[in-house]
Amino acid sequence: MFLLPKGNPLAENVPVAKLQLPEALEKLKNGALTGCAVFDFPGADCALIYDAGKMVGALVHRENKELRDQAALQALVDLLVLANSGSFSVYGFSREMTLALLGMINGTAVIDGQEIKQIDFKALLDRIKNEQMTGTLKIFTADRSGLIFYKGGATIGFFHNAATAVETSAGEVQQIAGLPGAKASLSALQNEQALSDLSTMVDIRKLWEAASGNIFAAPPAAAPKAATPPPTPTPAASASDVETAIIEFANQFLGKLGKALAEKELSNIGGAKALSDAGTLSEFLAAMERGSKMLASVNKIKEMNAAISNEVAKL
Amino acid sequence: MDLTGFFQNLTTWLPFLPKIYNPVVIDFTSLFTVLCWLVAASIALYFSVNNSRIWTSIGIGFFLLFWSQSYQLNPWHETFTVMIAVHYMIGTISILLVSHGIQEYYLFTRTLEITGSKKTIYIGTFLIIAIAILVISLNPKPSLYVLRNYRMMNNTIWFFLCILNIYYIVKIYSEMKDSPIVNGIIAFGVVFVCALIWKGSGLYMMIYQWDKPWLDIIEFTGESTDIQLHMAKVQLARWLFKTFNVLTSLSVAGTFAYLFKLLR
Repeated sequence: MFLLPKGNPLAENVPVAKLQLPEALEKLKNGALTGCAVFDFPGADCALIYDAGKMVGALVHRENKELRDQAALQALVDLLVLANSGSFSVYGFSREMTLALLGMINGTAVIDGQEIKQIDFKALLDRIKNEQMTGTLKIFTADRSGLIFYKGGATIGFFHNAATAVETSAGEVQQIAGLPGAKASLSALQNEQALSDLSTMVDIRKLWEAASGNIFAAPPAAAPKAATPPPTPTPAASASDVETAIIEFANQFLGKLGKALAEKELSNIGGAKALSDAGTLSEFLAAMERGSKMLASVNKIKEMNAAISNEVAKL
Repeated sequence: MDLTGFFQNLTTWLPFLPKIYNPVVIDFTSLFTVLCWLVAASIALYFSVNNSRIWTSIGIGFFLLFWSQSYQLNPWHETFTVMIAVHYMIGTISILLVSHGIQEYYLFTRTLEITGSKKTIYIGTFLIIAIAILVISLNPKPSLYVLRNYRMMNNTIWFFLCILNIYYIVKIYSEMKDSPIVNGIIAFGVVFVCALIWKGSGLYMMIYQWDKPWLDIIEFTGESTDIQLHMAKVQLARWLFKTFNVLTSLSVAGTFAYLFKLLR
């Protein structure tokens, strides 16, 4: 089970027995929800994160496994169809808090379950601040958990398993950090500008109709297509996606000028397609680094280049 | 603080040093100001070493400013007027270098191009200083009038280039307001505002001949001055000059330390 904060309750503990998922999600979309929808099943739970009606993240936690995005939606449909008990709640949050939550459930792990006494906590907090991270720091023991939410490196709230709402003081979470054997995990968003709407990528209604038609039947052809990663795109399409992602990374890490710098350097090498060559990639990264030194810190540049390299690896 | 004895002993131990003929009296404000400039220069120079080429011009420029200001602690400056002229020239070269860096920064924000090399900056700076020293050495020993002219040139160039630099800082700011280091750019704006007031007040006193070098000159020539009629303005200008000299050095040190943190 994962710990999620409680925001402004829009619906709370609604039984899922008669829930029609497509209709329920349609309502959240039309209501331009910014916050999260939480499904609580015996032995599993699920969170859907919404940003102004866009479903920007999904996570299912089941049997110590975590499923995200399309796979999570497929799992949610299965859970709803098979479950005979469970509840559904919707909480509204500020956009900052929503992005911090998204960082927790869909972000990249910066540290993962490390013992607090082995962490230079001050350095970690400095890193969060300097790198302007948006995400959540989870501090936990076997019995207790606390969350600290960050937006752009600034602390925006605290929550713990005995709290009823997001708090402004760190007191309880600090106490958890002081307990013997306390551990910490930090996950942060890589790119908060490029949030895609999962509901446009997965046809929930089709999944729902297919699953609820005959739950013992083999999954319909459309379902696995939506739940598994999309087929390998043609190189041209992929290069264009990579180019868009690189420009977005530059914008995120360096600002407007970074975006222009990435566009210029990409045009100098003849587009992202050329990055599949290792020599051109290192030339491109060196050129980006040279220009970025006037715009951002060494750490930010390293992080950006790592993100770009990861993206290029998809080519 | 009278250091005449100390320097006279020093020239006895190190006989190759020129003899001390005039009393060496250094006031604490000058000492503090030069120490501030030393801190600023050290941070600026260290900063310029491991950074982008554009920072090299700006860093070396501020280091040269310390060099130009250090004449206040130079015990031979009263005896060797050439040395004072060299200090003023180096001070003038320093703002040229800083402005060159700022203008290149602006150019970068518009074209995203960084051309040239650090080596060019180092060699170029060395050559300009060498030429300045050569020109001063080849000419007659500067009189008090000539030294005052050098100083006025320094204040004038600083004053107008500071205005230009503030303008460029505003333009750079508007280009990179969402960049992680934009606050460092704003801090540079503060540096140039302080320098503008510092050099501007110095220039103002020189234009109206209320400055100390002019008063020293007329003490011997017997010329009259209207300074007594404008004492309030003169006092204000003197206060601004001293205060903003210290504030400029502190803001330079602070800005580079802050930039160092931002770019780590």
